[in-house]
Formats: sequence, C-alpha cells, structure tokens
Amino acid sequence: MDLIANLLRRPAAASILSLIGVLVFYVVFGGVELGKLANAASWLNYAARIGIVALPVGLLMISGEIDISIGAMIPAGAMTTAIISGYYDLPIIFGIIGALTIGVLVGLFNGILAVRTTVPTLIITLGTLVAMQGVVLAGSKLLTGAASVPLTAPAWAKTLFGDFIFGGSHQVIIIWWVILAVIFWFVMHMSKFGNWIFAIGGDKVSARNAGIPVDRITILLFVLTSTAASFVGMCHAILFNSAQVSGGMNDIFNIIVSVVVGGVLLTGGFGSIAGVFIGTLTFAIVNKGIDFTAIDRNWANLIIGVMLLIAVAMNESFRKMALSYAPKPKK
Amino acid sequence: MTKFSRFAATATTAIVAACAAGAVMAADIFVVGGKPDDPFWSRVKLGAEEAGKVAEAQGGSVTWLGPQNYDNLGPDAAELIRQAIDQGADAIVGPDWVPEAMDPAFQAVVDAGIPLVIYNAGGIEAADRLGALNYVGAVDYKSGFAGGEYLGNAGHKNGACVNTLPGAANLEAFCTGFNDGIASVGGTGSVLQLPATAFGDATAVAQAVRAHLLQNPEIDAMFAVGDGDTNATVSGIAQAGKTGSVKVCGMNFNDTILANIQAGTQACAIDQQGYQQGFFAVSILNNFVNYGVTIPTREILTGPGVIDAANVELVIEGVKAGAR
Repeated sequence: MDLIANLLRRPAAASILSLIGVLVFYVVFGGVELGKLANAASWLNYAARIGIVALPVGLLMISGEIDISIGAMIPAGAMTTAIISGYYDLPIIFGIIGALTIGVLVGLFNGILAVRTTVPTLIITLGTLVAMQGVVLAGSKLLTGAASVPLTAPAWAKTLFGDFIFGGSHQVIIIWWVILAVIFWFVMHMSKFGNWIFAIGGDKVSARNAGIPVDRITILLFVLTSTAASFVGMCHAILFNSAQVSGGMNDIFNIIVSVVVGGVLLTGGFGSIAGVFIGTLTFAIVNKGIDFTAIDRNWANLIIGVMLLIAVAMNESFRKMALSYAPKPKK
Repeated sequence: MTKFSRFAATATTAIVAACAAGAVMAADIFVVGGKPDDPFWSRVKLGAEEAGKVAEAQGGSVTWLGPQNYDNLGPDAAELIRQAIDQGADAIVGPDWVPEAMDPAFQAVVDAGIPLVIYNAGGIEAADRLGALNYVGAVDYKSGFAGGEYLGNAGHKNGACVNTLPGAANLEAFCTGFNDGIASVGGTGSVLQLPATAFGDATAVAQAVRAHLLQNPEIDAMFAVGDGDTNATVSGIAQAGKTGSVKVCGMNFNDTILANIQAGTQACAIDQQGYQQGFFAVSILNNFVNYGVTIPTREILTGPGVIDAANVELVIEGVKAGAR
C-alpha cells in the first residue's frame, strides 16, 4: 500500500494515469486495436518531434520561465538547413551547423534579455517568435525567391537524422528523443544542476543567495530550448527532402501542453523528466490515436480538448496529495 | 441496462461487426485530404463518403485522414499516408501537395503493393512518376490560366494572385497559371505572398489584400486560391474602397461566392468540383480492389469550369439539388 501511495505522489504519477486513461477511452469507445496502434509509427514519430523540444522546455518551465519562440525555431532550423545545403548546394554539414547555430544565437538572445530585463519571458519570446517568423519568410524570399526549398541530403545525414528505422515508418528521431530523455533525466535528477533548476523555480532570490549561478543557468536553458527546436527542424528537412516557411503556432501549444500534462507547474518549481516524457506520449496518442478510432473526425478536437483538461485536473489533485502528505507517526 | 452501457454495448457490437466484415475481401480505403472543416475539403470528403457507401455495402470502409492545420502541410500529409499503410489500408487516395516531402511516402504505398490514386494535386505526371492507378482532379495550372484569361478578356489587365500557402505546389501552379493567363490576353500578373499562418484566417488575408491594393493602385484584378480566401479578398477590396474597380476571380465556390457573383461583387469562380474528386477516386479504387476493373482513361479531369453571371443560376439550382 505504501508503495502505491509513494508512486502516486511522484510528479509523473498523473501523467502515467492519464496515459492509461486515454488508452482505455480509445479502446472502449473508439474500438482501437491496441496491437495495431502499438505497431503504428504516426504517434511515436509525432511524440519524438514534439518530445525533443518538450524536454528542455520542461526544464525551463521548472525553472519558472517559458519559451514560445520554439514555434518559429522549428521552421527556422528546417529552412536554414534547406537554404544552405539545398539552395546553395553546400555540404550538408554546413546546413546542420547553420541550423544549430541559429538555435544557439536565438537562445542566447532570449536568455540574455530574460536575465538583463524584468520583462516576463512570455513577452520576450513572443517577440522573438514573431520576429523569427518574419526573418524566416523574408530571408527565404530574399535568398531563394521561394517559400519552399527542396533539399537532397547524403546518405550518412539521412541515416543519422532523417531516415526510417525498423524497416517501417518509424523515424530515426525517435532514437534521438529516447537518448536525450535519458541525458536530461540524468542531469535533472542525478546531478546538482537539476537541484539548481528546481531551486531557481522555487525561489529565484534564495537560489541566487545560496550561490547558484541563476543567470548562467537561465541563459543555458534558453539556448537548449531553441537549439532543440532548430534541431528538430533540421531533422525534418533532411527526412522530408524539403523545408517550407510556416508559423509553427500549433507546435508551441502542443509542446507546452505535453509538458503540462507531464505534471510540470506553469509557475515553476515542480515537475520531472519522466513526467514530461510520458506527458508527451500521452498527448501524441490523444492527438494521433483519434485516427485509429471509429469516432467521426469532426469530433476530434472536442475529444482532444476534454481529455487534456481531465489529464491536467488529475495532475492538480495528485500534486495536492503530494504536497499535503505527512507520513503517519510510528506507534 | 443504463443508457450508458446500452451505448457502449451498441458501439461494441458495431465495432465487432466492422471487424468481422473486414475479414472478408473488402476494400478498406483510406483517403488523405484537407481539414474536414475546410469548406472545399468537406465537399471532397462528402464525395468520398458517398462513393464509400458502395464500399460499405460490400463490407469495406472509407476513412478520412486530414491534418489538424496546414502549417506543416507536406510532412504532415506524408505522415498520414504512412499512417494509412500502418492501419492496413487496402487502397489509398492522396493529393501530391509537396512532392519533395510526399513522394517517398507514396513510393512506400506502391512498394507495399497497395493500389494508389493521386487526386486534387500533382496531375497525371505525379501518378505516372509514382506508379499510381490514375489521377483525379483539376489541372491547377489550367484553372489559374482560365481565371487570368477571363479577367483579362473582361478588360482588367493588371492582376495579382493571392497565395496564402507559399510552397504548396498546387497553389504555386494556380498563380503561375493566372499570371500566364492574364499575360496571354495582353495583361500582366504578379503574386501577393502571405505567410502560411494566414491560410484560413480571413481577417489576415483581407488586411493583406487591402494594404496591397492601397500600395499598388494600378492593380485592377485579383485571383484567390480558395473559396475562403476569395471571400476574404472580396472583403479586403471593399475595405480598400475599390469594390467594382478591382475584379476578383477565385478557385472553388460556396453560397456566399455564388451570391457575390449574382450581386456582381465577384467576377467569376473557377470550379474544380471537389465532390467529384473524392467520389471518383474512391470508386475507382473500390472497383479495382473488389473486381480488378480499371479506368483506362488516364487523368480524370474534374475542372476547370468557369462560373460567372451567365451560368450562376444554373449552379445555384445544382447546389439546391445537392449535386454541387
């Protein structure tokens, strides 16, 4: 009994229950065959796409900040790769370096503004979001004259970043996602950096007084989120042999929702990597699993919305349980 | 039995029945298309579903797979095609919107031995290149050309094509066709490029059109690439105070557009008859899977047809009869 109670108090508990709830709902009401769903790649590909960005966004949100410029950074990474290596025909390595560089630069910009000003990071990154949408569209039109750029990547780059694995339609970024999740889990829960991030999210001033390099950590987290986003864009450009200008507005919400379903508090200080990982899986199954059901597609958005609300409500109650927990006095 | 459990029981029975029926040789056809709430695509979907009634009567099914938004069109559609394979499709219908992103997915369909029909975008070239059974749809370039030619012949020689989804091959073809069409009767054409986020956002499109017209007062003809965009363009022209002096043609139509053509605020609509695209693509595949019969005519054209003040009454009758 104690074991279950302990499990329920972990930040990932609600996301695991959400995941089970979603699957049960789809099986009972949608007639989903679990085997078919498990073998299908669509939801796992989608989870990897948003999950790679959701991991650093989760850390950033635990530290009490938010980054919505990720929406523009996914197409920015894709377009940078396609313009450098597709339009200008330079070796793909320059395209890859270019995409990651633009991620680092935008992340530095966001991070430095965040620590040097008192403007909320929602507003700062809203600014960079819209500005980067403009840079990507105008830059693409200026340099290539088109808003969509084809790209032919060499075999090694395809194998590494944009190929299908297991002989089916699973994408190689799934492996990247799992590796990154392990690394992030280690950093967050096994190293002092993780404690620092929780401390910053809990109380920034106390954290600084305790000697934690708050500014440096904040800037680093912003660099991670925007580089992760441009990395995903780059992988997509290599996989789909092309990149197009787009707003990426939906990605922002999907990523943040995944993180929140994963049990991270919007106000910071609470969350876990396992939670974010499972939250992303849950969101991807809600989102893509609807296609496997007998439910009319016209209802899809309603069902997605309701399921997310339930998941978040569960998070809320489990967190209360966790925070109000006191071990029974031993007799 | 409570209401709830009765519902659950009915649902389960239906599912079991569907699974049992799926076991015999029947065509489970997957149709990849636009958002179901897009007016044009809802008509394609209706056509596919009505053709699907035959498939259902034979124990098969028609499943519609559409993206939730058009932000990442090519890759999203490519993913849906692969998803259809994973879901065990007996036949697949899909539009070749962004060939670089989608062709490998279509290739996977053909490699898996699943019959494929390309519809709506890509043309017979895409069907030939990919080894698809056939192409069903309008030729985008010809549709745009018809619009440009129509406006040019009406004496409006300086045209702009509003492209709300830059990069989508079919929309680029509309605009190229429009520019060539207006040039063929001695006019000039240009393209107003909007960011992809403007797609489906009537206010954004209308504001962009208004601003463009005020900046470029010489423009006296506009072409829009979809029915929602056409309404937004008409509204943008009105906001610029240029109703009547700037003539509009647009792809596809709906009730508002027909009323606008009657009232004279819109010159013409180019119809690619979306219902036919869904209907014929599904019929061809269903008959092929069940009986092995083919349509030897390659490239089933469903457009362009020009709707203007001369024939709008007839079209409205067609809408009332449920045929358009």
